[in-house]
Amino acid sequence: MDIFNGLMLGFSTATTFGNFLYCFLGVLLGTAVGVLPGLGPIATISMLLPFTFGLPVDTALIMLAGIFYGSQYGGSTTAILMNLPGEASSVVTTLDGHEMAKQGKAGRALAAAAIGSFFAGTVGTLFIAIAAPLLAGLALTFGPAEYFSLIVLGLITSMVLASGSLLTALGMALFGMMLGMIGTDVNSGAARFTFGTPNLLDGLDFVVVATGVFGLGEVLANLENERSRSAGIAQVSSLFPTREDWKRMAAPILRGTGIGVLLGVLPGAGVLLASFSAYALEKKVSRHSAEFGKGAIEGVAAPEAANNAAAQTCFIPMLTLGLPGTATMALMIGALVVQGVQPGPEILTQQPALFWGLVVSMWLGNLMLLFLNLPLVGVWAKLISVPYHYLFPMICVFVAIGVYSINNSVFDVYMMALFGVLGYFFKKVGAEPAPLILAMILGPMAEEYLRRALLISHGDASVFFTSPLSLGTLIVAALLLLSIISPRFRKVREEGLQEVD
Amino acid sequence: MKRREFMVLGGTAALLASSGTAWSAGKWPSKPGVVISAYPPGGTSDIITRLVADVLTAKFGQQFVVENHAGAAGALAGGKLARAAADGYTIMVSGSAPIAANKVVQKNLAYDPQVDFTPITIVAESPALLTASASAPAKSLQELIAYAKANPGKVNIGNPGAGTKGHIAAAIIGQLAGVEINHIPYKGSPPLLTDLLGGHIHFALDAPSNYLPHVRDSKIRGLAVTSLKRTSELPDVPTVAEQGFKDYDQTLWFGAVGPKGMPAEIVNAIQGAIKEWTDMPATKEKLTSLGLTAVANTPDQMRVSIQKEIESIRPLVDAGLVQPT
Repeated sequence: MDIFNGLMLGFSTATTFGNFLYCFLGVLLGTAVGVLPGLGPIATISMLLPFTFGLPVDTALIMLAGIFYGSQYGGSTTAILMNLPGEASSVVTTLDGHEMAKQGKAGRALAAAAIGSFFAGTVGTLFIAIAAPLLAGLALTFGPAEYFSLIVLGLITSMVLASGSLLTALGMALFGMMLGMIGTDVNSGAARFTFGTPNLLDGLDFVVVATGVFGLGEVLANLENERSRSAGIAQVSSLFPTREDWKRMAAPILRGTGIGVLLGVLPGAGVLLASFSAYALEKKVSRHSAEFGKGAIEGVAAPEAANNAAAQTCFIPMLTLGLPGTATMALMIGALVVQGVQPGPEILTQQPALFWGLVVSMWLGNLMLLFLNLPLVGVWAKLISVPYHYLFPMICVFVAIGVYSINNSVFDVYMMALFGVLGYFFKKVGAEPAPLILAMILGPMAEEYLRRALLISHGDASVFFTSPLSLGTLIVAALLLLSIISPRFRKVREEGLQEVD
Repeated sequence: MKRREFMVLGGTAALLASSGTAWSAGKWPSKPGVVISAYPPGGTSDIITRLVADVLTAKFGQQFVVENHAGAAGALAGGKLARAAADGYTIMVSGSAPIAANKVVQKNLAYDPQVDFTPITIVAESPALLTASASAPAKSLQELIAYAKANPGKVNIGNPGAGTKGHIAAAIIGQLAGVEINHIPYKGSPPLLTDLLGGHIHFALDAPSNYLPHVRDSKIRGLAVTSLKRTSELPDVPTVAEQGFKDYDQTLWFGAVGPKGMPAEIVNAIQGAIKEWTDMPATKEKLTSLGLTAVANTPDQMRVSIQKEIESIRPLVDAGLVQPT
């Protein structure tokens, strides 16, 4: 099927009443959780996952995807108006976005973010339509050795990008791998780390861990500053960028989109790396670099374009290789598998309506988001001021229902509570949970591919270096690790990540 | 307003929570049920599981949902079933590994399929199909054996899990031909097929459904079927017996089982529904296109099949020819 026919099929799938409605619901919910600090797309998607089991598979995926990229839009609203990142990926937006708001240019900053995001979203979806079929064709050249190397790259990327020390990130990744090993060994059927309880024989459900760490843990952490939470929301004036604004933000949006599109495909990088890199690049190349940190519109447009572009293109490895680059993508795989669809190179030929429907719905969703976020920004600003003593108990109830309904298991609810406390502890000691969650998902996959690659090669580990694809991937991973040892890069990383805190 | 909303929410939560515990009273089925699939979506075992779930949903007017618990050659799903309540709301449909072979193949199996399961019916059966990638060093079974003799320890044959029929059928060929074969377990058929198409592994022995279209497209080569006679779906592919292994006959089956102590009337109701469905001409046609033949035997007949399967594998395990890797 060529792209044109594919897009036609996608349009007919995405514009059915149900799919259109759920796409809207998804982006609406995504914007809401993006706006609210302390509630992110991972926790939201985990909570809603069991409720999508009854929907058709295309509808479910369209809605869940909408939540994810919708939160990228919503996150910037809070960042600009309140100097609080609604989402991790909008931390850099606070730097110049909130400065602009202080200067009375909040509306123009919001417009820059939304327009940048929309443009990037459009390019991102187009890129999926072109690149995903190509990669699916290439996917057959990926054997066990290549998959293993790709996973190693993903894990190392997520460690290098985590805030805090590399050692902490390594510890978190190793802990995550251990959590992933709990359960029954895939080849021999032996029970591992189950402490004799049958509840652990199936392993830990990663939705349980993610909901605990990201949902409950965030709620606990936010309770601390509930009293001191300032309700200072900047006033929104004109939403129309000036001619000067347009001129200044056009090139940064293009560059941000390019960076986001490429980095989104890289496993383990996620949307955070994209927004950081785009900001760093603009700061270097911009003629107004002195204004950065003092309200430069480039510093809003570029990272917002980048994070949204990455939010679209990170679907590519998930759909075509079945390889989740981020925790959110692992949730999407879960949603597909539950419905009997195995992501992988066959998905385009076996589920064309699902694939193309998703691509088109993403573009439609981005269009809806543009309208949701600009004219309605006042509504979202009000949402920020919803008192947490109403919101948090509701979140707690919803996560408990959500987790319980996955397996009808009370044990899972207790596990989630335990991981909630653990999540709070991680927050207190400054250990970022992203590498833990990713390692928990990718660890068992890495083990499976490592064992298979070595079985096929009769124990000869050189297969990882004789395949050019695998060798190249491992070299990139090694360079990433080395770069952190180099004092110059370390300084850049620390500066970049400090700005987050 | 807020308070009332919250109370409604709490009520919903309580309702949802109570629906998880079994209502044993009343007529079965009074609530949705679960059909466990022991392999990932898309493989033969999973296709049959989904067909059965649809049949039960249509017949009994309650939703029967498929849950995939792939891993450890079905032992993960088997363990899940063994721990489930025997109220007729959880059953499993699977190839023979978690229902029979795992008992002798996996030393650490957390359940005993002959004790912890209630047989319902064998849904369908089929021969296994030996396939080779386009770049494989052999174009027939004889060439494969010759290659294995010339390159001891170099032949890898993929299977959808340790103890699956694909694994066992390959082990028997190795035993009869006196060659060493490395068995590479996969997590079900789809990933094995992907690796075979990509040439990362050169041979696979598995249920035929997923491979049929690719053999017809000549993207992979069918080397042999394990049944005594050739199959109608691949008339050009010779049997193993034809290629020098007289009387070689291996059939794989897919069956439905429930947890230990499932009420006989529910077992019979499910068996009856499946039997009724397999008797329909449309079903037969559908199964044939997948390379399968309908069986729908009685629970007692299935019990005998399980026993026979286990006894036929035990000597292979004792001889060290079939073991998890």
